Amino acid sequence: MVYITSWDDFVERSVQLFRADPEKASTRYVMKYRHSDGKLVLKVTDDKECIKFKTDQAQDAKKMEKLNNIFFTLMSRGPDADISEVGGKEQMEAQAPKKGRGRKQ
Amino acid sequence: MVRLQPDPFLNELTSMFERTTEHGSVWVTLKHSSDKSKAQRNKMKTAGENLEFKCLIRATDGKKNISTMVGAKDHQRFQASYAILLKARLTALKKRERKDKRKATDSDKKMDISKKKSAAAKAST
Repeated sequence: MVYITSWDDFVERSVQLFRADPEKASTRYVMKYRHSDGKLVLKVTDDKECIKFKTDQAQDAKKMEKLNNIFFTLMSRGPDADISEVGGKEQMEAQAPKKGRGRKQ
Repeated sequence: MVRLQPDPFLNELTSMFERTTEHGSVWVTLKHSSDKSKAQRNKMKTAGENLEFKCLIRATDGKKNISTMVGAKDHQRFQASYAILLKARLTALKKRERKDKRKATDSDKKMDISKKKSAAAKAST
């Protein structure tokens, strides 16, 4: 098991892992938060493959919110649920403030 | 494992975060589950019934375990409350990198402005 450094890779691979076999009982998404060290670890595993992401940055907590949304949607609505909306919002929000700054100049 | 309704679950999760501010960690697990035992699942399969899947959420601080189920109807409301809770509790993470980025964009702006000024000056001469 190795920590994945790229956030986008982590999201892509974790969704893939879940969709590979959604009915598998061992597939899970775990968040561990340690306040005293200010560390956040995300893990997605099916007991065969394990994908992890570690961070101490507040900005990654915001990205995690989007991943939470993706997994809540996938898990409560089913693996075929459309996650482009929950994933797409993230890009929209990321682009919007940049445009705002651009106009001010 | 204590099974709670979504709202009491969030309250209990909040107090877990409060209890672990000085030492300890909090784990939150999301799982796609039908909430049925294997025997029940097999029974339903042979009867030709469809399994209903929901999102099982578990949380622990190492001492206490709590869990809740969220279905398709209420997951959006739950995830909104959960996001607010996390925002309020994940306060030990560093914010430094964002500030650096802001500084970088600020200096970019200054650069742009000075460029424009020099360009304007050239145009006027």
